[in-house]
Amino acid sequence: MSYLEANYRAVPSGWRKILYLNWPLVVLLTAVASVGFLVLYSVADGSWAPWAEQQSERFVIGLVAMVLIAMVPTWFWRNMSLLAYLLGIALLLGVEFFGVVRGGAQRWLNLGGLVIQPSELMKIALVMMLAAYYDWLDVKKVSRPHWVLIPVVLILVPAFLVLEQPDLGTAMLLVAGGGLVMFVAGVSWWYFIAVGAGAGGLVYAVLESRGKDWQLLQDYQYQRIDTFLDPSTDPLGAGYNITQAQIALGSGGWSGKGFMQGTQTRLDFLPEAHTDFIITTLAEQFGFIGALTLLVLYMGIVFFCVLTALRSRDRFAALLVIGIAASFFLYFAINIAMVTGLAPVVGVPLPMVSYGGTVMVILMAAFGLVQSAHVHRPRGVR
Amino acid sequence: MRAPLRPLARILPARARGEDTAPIEAESRRVRAREAGRRAHRTAQLRLALLGLFFVGAYGAVGMKMAVIAATPPAEPLRAGSAAPFVATRADITDREGRVLATNLATAALYVQVRDLVDPRRAADGLAAVFPDMDADRLHARFTSGARFMWLRGSLSPEQQQAVHDIGDPGLQLGRRERRLYPGGNLAAHVMGGVRFGDQAVDAAEIVGIAGIEAAYDEWLSDPANEGAALRLTLDTPIQAAIEEVLAGAVGIYDALGASAVLMHAETGEIVSIVSLPDFDPNDRPVPLLEGSPDESPLFNRAVQGVYELGSVFKIFPAAQALELGLVEPWTMIDTKGPLRTGGFAVRDFRNYGDELSLTDVMVKSSNIGTGELALMIGPTRQRAFLDTLGMLDVTPVQLQEARRSVPLLPPRWGETASITISYGHGLSVSPVHVAAGYAAMVNGGLLVEPTLVQGEGGPTGARVISEETSGQTRDMLRQIVTRGTASMAEIPGYFLGGKTGTADKPRPTGGYYDDRVIATFAGAFPMHDPEWVIVVTLDEPEETSGREVRRTAGWTAVPVAAEIVSRVAPLLGMAPDMERQDPHEFTRAAHE
Repeated sequence: MSYLEANYRAVPSGWRKILYLNWPLVVLLTAVASVGFLVLYSVADGSWAPWAEQQSERFVIGLVAMVLIAMVPTWFWRNMSLLAYLLGIALLLGVEFFGVVRGGAQRWLNLGGLVIQPSELMKIALVMMLAAYYDWLDVKKVSRPHWVLIPVVLILVPAFLVLEQPDLGTAMLLVAGGGLVMFVAGVSWWYFIAVGAGAGGLVYAVLESRGKDWQLLQDYQYQRIDTFLDPSTDPLGAGYNITQAQIALGSGGWSGKGFMQGTQTRLDFLPEAHTDFIITTLAEQFGFIGALTLLVLYMGIVFFCVLTALRSRDRFAALLVIGIAASFFLYFAINIAMVTGLAPVVGVPLPMVSYGGTVMVILMAAFGLVQSAHVHRPRGVR
Repeated sequence: MRAPLRPLARILPARARGEDTAPIEAESRRVRAREAGRRAHRTAQLRLALLGLFFVGAYGAVGMKMAVIAATPPAEPLRAGSAAPFVATRADITDREGRVLATNLATAALYVQVRDLVDPRRAADGLAAVFPDMDADRLHARFTSGARFMWLRGSLSPEQQQAVHDIGDPGLQLGRRERRLYPGGNLAAHVMGGVRFGDQAVDAAEIVGIAGIEAAYDEWLSDPANEGAALRLTLDTPIQAAIEEVLAGAVGIYDALGASAVLMHAETGEIVSIVSLPDFDPNDRPVPLLEGSPDESPLFNRAVQGVYELGSVFKIFPAAQALELGLVEPWTMIDTKGPLRTGGFAVRDFRNYGDELSLTDVMVKSSNIGTGELALMIGPTRQRAFLDTLGMLDVTPVQLQEARRSVPLLPPRWGETASITISYGHGLSVSPVHVAAGYAAMVNGGLLVEPTLVQGEGGPTGARVISEETSGQTRDMLRQIVTRGTASMAEIPGYFLGGKTGTADKPRPTGGYYDDRVIATFAGAFPMHDPEWVIVVTLDEPEETSGREVRRTAGWTAVPVAAEIVSRVAPLLGMAPDMERQDPHEFTRAAHE
């Protein structure tokens, strides 16, 4: 039963809705984005141009989008889910055929001067689609094989398109984010255990086959695995980013070298200092304390989302919110894991902090959906 | 407790009382639906909580890892030690005598740390004074554009380094660079290929081979374990230079588009010279062509990449195979009455040679019809197998990057018609190196060789292609082609050159063949009584204009060039003309002893 059918009176209406926004979440988002501005300002050597200025403009655009989206009832977004998903697929196909190539990957689509990255849009559209699917599906059928197969296909189609670009990081995020929505929707444990065991077995087979007649991967692919496991074996090649990032993280120490005092980042040792590896810039200047503060801010954002999801009695809203929170978390977790050397370098930005327009606006729009679920949550009944 | 599917305990008494049971069932369904909803909600909440726990755990792990890194003192020495693999010097390349063909020169790259510039204006002016091609205003604009770091020059001479140093601005910095140097310039350009810079760091840059042997042996050359060692080739620099000179002259005389030559040891497959014209300077490689045919670029290696239909030089292969199979003897008369019709297509000869010729004369006169008859005797299957054994159907193993991509072009269907055209060198396109290796096996006593450019590699495979006797008969025929046949201009007293000519019409890109553009080839060996050296010369679109009409056939173009090459190169190979040996057929017997 959806809240709409019984409780619409308990939901605030008109501009009064603004009062019912999840304001702690807004504050946390602003704080995280501000950390980003600060770091971008320092990477540009104490200058708003070229990064901090644009990033803050996009944040304001995103903020407006978030509030507008929050004003619209959640049922509308549920009805839009299929459309959003299809639009996302269409844009990904558009990238495949008309995409702009930057840095060796075809990820961007030029829509009349506005260059966007459809794979970012797809992350949210996929979560919406899955939430709407499980909202529609009878709970008793959730674990039946063919009803499990449908969402798997829904996830794999965009994941495959993104992998083609090639963008391993985003493909991983899509699969993991979709998988988490399925998990929360109540799909039987056995499916996850089976997939986990299969993946584990594959990894084992790949590592075991090395040097034998039935070697599954090429030698250079094994070298990449080696580099991931021990970056110092190839400090100037693939391991360069990681090694430099860890030096930057380490050289920050507990309290950092102080604002604008980082040497690793300022002396250009660290590539991608304003995008994927931005946390190292932060950690070098503000140390472990600074990085930990950011960590706590992220935790707070995810915490408030989980709270909204737990309190929501509407299945679509709950799954949507948790899906967005999970995507956000995965962004962050994979980025940090990558920079600290816990995961291979796959090119995932630090959400809200890394320089990047599409990610910022899309994430803020996604939090608009969270806010919509929060504002329109059922009140006053059991 | 679960609600039962149908509350029989209530329904049965109600039915007994004659009441309507529908409301009871409806209520039961409502209860069950509510319970299912609650269970789903509980599942969802439980899983949410689990997910939350996972989030907390993951955050904890990330926080711990950051704490560990923060607590570890920064390992700065990593950077200092890490440049080592770059600095390792790329191994030299030498010819067979150890003469240097490629080596390294220590230079410096110029880069700018803009923030460290004391006075961008002065630095820009200073640089413009040192490098005339730099513009002071443009440099200044770049220095003040907001970029913090830029490369200006890849390699500086010692004088330039000093001049930059004398500008005295700390923002202008020099990074150590190794530059690949080819002291011979254009010499053996296609073998050397060339290099480019790979990954660049401030204090070193990786050198990556992009063509020729530099690319094919990139891994070996850049392996630090081979530092100080040299890659010793089979090339001989003076011979290479002599052949390049003769060939360049020929290109001028015959107004050819290009030319190539291969000189190979008949028994070992070692290539002492491989030339392709036009050539280039690997120190300063020209940019690859973006349009047009690749063979218009000087980067194109005609001897290896140029897969051509090489025409009549191929005729010796069916002749040798027919002898080997015992189908004919050198004196067997072959039907040469034209035209030879096959599959709606007629094979004609350059001239009418009468109704029949001996096998030797088929070669001497270069009769297409006669050779076609041989192909009919052999049959497509055996012909294909034989050419495959000779390596004509696969890329040549010669150690050049380009060779690996130059696949011979085979006919789509190897039937009777194809076997006839292939017997006289049309319908199968191979490179001159292929032909050289094939000829080596024909004349050296019948053993297959693997063409090689690197000492200690390739060489004789030990596989027998034809018998000693057939090889001797083949040599006899090749020699007679020079003494009384189409290659008569190749007769140089004392060197006993023998070989076969080939004049192939060039295919039009649109299909069909040109009738006024040819590839003229001479493939042969010397001295023919005990061949040590195989030579293949091709000229692309030669025109010999001394006579009344333009002559393009190999006998007038490629053959005199080959003869000139042999007369220049034989002394360098340590051969003296042998004026004692008189009888041109003597060598046949000598080989049989």
